[in-house]
Amino acid sequence: MPLHYVVPLKKKTASDPAREMNQRGSLAGRGLLKWFNDQVREILYQVELHYAVLEEIRLRANQPLLIRLTGRDVFLNAEGAEVEPSQAYRVTSEDLSETLERLTQSSIYAAEEEIRQGFLTLPGGHRVGITGEAVLQQGRVQTLKHITGLNFRVAKEAKGFGLNLLPFLVTSEGRLFHTLIISMPRAGKTTLLRSLIRLLSDGVPELNLQGQTVGVVDERGELAGMWQGVPGFNLGVRTDVLDGCPKAVGMSMLIRAMAPQIVAVDELGQDEDALAVTEALRSGVSVLSTAHASSLAEARARPSLERLLTAGVFERLVILSRREGPGTIEGVLDLTSGQSLLGR
Amino acid sequence: MLMIGSLGLIIACGGIGLWLADRARRRPGELRACLTALSLLDTEIYWGSTPLPEACAGIAARIGVPWQGFFEEIQGRIEGGEGAWSAWKATVANQTGNFCLKPEDWLVVLDVGKGLGRSDRQEQHKQLELVQKHLGQLREQAASWAERQAKMWSYLGFLVGFAVVIFLI
Repeated sequence: MPLHYVVPLKKKTASDPAREMNQRGSLAGRGLLKWFNDQVREILYQVELHYAVLEEIRLRANQPLLIRLTGRDVFLNAEGAEVEPSQAYRVTSEDLSETLERLTQSSIYAAEEEIRQGFLTLPGGHRVGITGEAVLQQGRVQTLKHITGLNFRVAKEAKGFGLNLLPFLVTSEGRLFHTLIISMPRAGKTTLLRSLIRLLSDGVPELNLQGQTVGVVDERGELAGMWQGVPGFNLGVRTDVLDGCPKAVGMSMLIRAMAPQIVAVDELGQDEDALAVTEALRSGVSVLSTAHASSLAEARARPSLERLLTAGVFERLVILSRREGPGTIEGVLDLTSGQSLLGR
Repeated sequence: MLMIGSLGLIIACGGIGLWLADRARRRPGELRACLTALSLLDTEIYWGSTPLPEACAGIAARIGVPWQGFFEEIQGRIEGGEGAWSAWKATVANQTGNFCLKPEDWLVVLDVGKGLGRSDRQEQHKQLELVQKHLGQLREQAASWAERQAKMWSYLGFLVGFAVVIFLI
């Protein structure tokens, strides 16, 4: 039997086969392994790790196979054992092209739009980032060829995450303040947004908060984890999801068609997104959104966010970090008064 | 007894001839069904951007045997993790016995699998159009060929039966 990587957080009991099976099949059991080509799948199958600490699996052409766990990176050799980068299994171009073929079910043409945007969404909301050589047409990315990297980002459902934040994010009448969640990548923005959507949609009796109609524009297919029309995540009983639609178009479509009380979108950043948010406010809905920035100052440095912040569109700002692991809440700011409502 | 034996021999040879005639007649029909299936596949890919397993399932639901089984097998193989080309190749090898097509027909059918699903919609459309053109030509030739072959085997079976009986008597 080859050597196995064992995360020290979870100790293996040799005499307990059921437990060993649970650990050993941790990746296979979640249906992740089937997306890799045979060579990489065989390596990953031999790795024992606790699913909860797995964040990313990175495949880069001619580079070592890398697994990113909470707190550390692990390089794997062909036997699935943790080794130094120089001894690790080198990912080949064939590994990448065969894996991409599996990811698209041999239907690259059906994933043209996703590849153009640089990522694919898998069942369960897992996301695969893609890098390669961009093919441009009239200055616009047409597609990616000669794929050089795939990054499997493992999605996790964190039930109840953000419950302690809700009292700061809703008025005494139960209306959601226009809220922006910011953090650096991999700090739990999307997970928090997903959790808040479910809490607001289902209602929280202990906070006396009734369920509200939530409209989600899931441009990147990451919030609901839609796979061919079936959501991978539970976003609550009063949530309508518009999947794969650009935010700017989707927000007005949802408001017209589904009359939501809250509109939730992920990763604001484009000028047209900012315009759509401003339009949404005029129709009386609350806006819940996320953006890439590790602080308010950094958010202000992005022109589209700066416009929204200066115009006083958002009333609450939630800042996340990875200081104590993904999802560490650094603070909640009242943007109308500039006061810190919750901070470390 | 001799009469019964002779009659049995003539019927057996005639039956084989009729079976071969029927196989020859089925070839144009199978090529026509293949063209329909490829046209559906083209539509699913070009207009619907439908992933291959789903497209194959749709075609299998709308087309009769033996192509139904062919597309069901491809769907299963791709869903099981096989690449499109390898799934197509293996299915062709596995399903040949269920068809009455000639080796030159299979060569064109095999061409469909090369590059299937590995490029954008435009490219897939062009490739499928080209294969459909080739198959169309084969079908036209197959129609007159099948008529000739069917007629020949229908008579030849019984004639061979008679010849053997005369020879034995």
